[in-house]
Amino acid sequence: MSKELKHSFVELLETHQNIVHKVCRLYTNNRDAHNDLFQEITIQLWKAYPKFRGDSKFSTWMYRVGLNTAITLYRKSKRTINTQDFQGVEFKIEAQEFDDTEEQQLKLLYKAIHQLNDIEKALVFLYLEDKNYNEISETLGISEVNARVRINRVKTKLKTILNP
Amino acid sequence: MDELEILKNHWKKEQYPYPKLTYAELYQMILRKSSSIVKWIFIISLLEFGFWIGISFFMKDSTFHDNMKDVNLESVLVPISIISYIVLFYFFYLFYKNYKTISATDNAKTLMENIIKTRKTVKYYVIFNLVTIIIGVIFGTYYVLNNVPMVVEKLELASANNQEFKVYASFILGVVLVLIIVIVLLILFYWLIYGLLLRRLKINYKELMKLDSN
Repeated sequence: MSKELKHSFVELLETHQNIVHKVCRLYTNNRDAHNDLFQEITIQLWKAYPKFRGDSKFSTWMYRVGLNTAITLYRKSKRTINTQDFQGVEFKIEAQEFDDTEEQQLKLLYKAIHQLNDIEKALVFLYLEDKNYNEISETLGISEVNARVRINRVKTKLKTILNP
Repeated sequence: MDELEILKNHWKKEQYPYPKLTYAELYQMILRKSSSIVKWIFIISLLEFGFWIGISFFMKDSTFHDNMKDVNLESVLVPISIISYIVLFYFFYLFYKNYKTISATDNAKTLMENIIKTRKTVKYYVIFNLVTIIIGVIFGTYYVLNNVPMVVEKLELASANNQEFKVYASFILGVVLVLIIVIVLLILFYWLIYGLLLRRLKINYKELMKLDSN
């Protein structure tokens, strides 16, 4: 593939890499696994890029490829089958905005999310990214009504995990 | 406040858990090789096609084939080989067509279905081969028992000694046993390879179906 194509892709990826990091954030629980998944998503994005026509936003297109890789395409390598918790890696949140309680709460929330199955995590991800039910249903290939119902169920499930 | 809402409020403000990757690092990444399950399915499927083609070549060169020639069965074997090659090309065409439809930009459900469909094409080819082998062995056994002079002689001798049933039974039992061993080994092999490779995909597909069913 041409150099220009590579250049334009890497530039876009550099700008939007946060999306890939966030997908990895929900689906992996240690640094090696994060890097592995990030690598695979990047390759899948690059493979699909020549067909990217720009009729959707690059970021929207990235969600889809990122989630598809995490849910379906990614073959977990041995070293990623690791039950080690994500506690060792903390997301830095702008300090002035949070007190300890909030930070603690977020940590627990991420821990709870890691207990969800892959599809539920995808629902959570799309919800957090503020995608509407139509986009959620299109990304996963389910009906809009079911997307709505399932988001509510995931919320209830998270509540149960957090407050047993 | 809803737990997920709390996270949503903070989601956008989050920074990278790891250092932001540079242009050069990302550039290097896209040059690396994928290790996705689709790639593995493609490689394994090619090996499977190769394996069955290899088996047919092996059979051609074997003494079994010469024996068939001796008993004038070549007129049957040639059309069978032609049919098996046509079937092979048909399955390979289907496999490649399905493989090409796999796209990471489809929705999750379509992507999973296309992967499963591609995999199934090869599975059906393997089943076709196994069924052919079983039918071949049944006919082969029948033919050998009735037409191969050495075997017919042994059977006549056994018949004279009133041991006809014993010889028939041990011959058929031996053939069945070998068939069972081969099939069990193949099933085990498949269960191991695809069980491990597709386990997660199957779980997620089931989950997605459940999600969309009620």
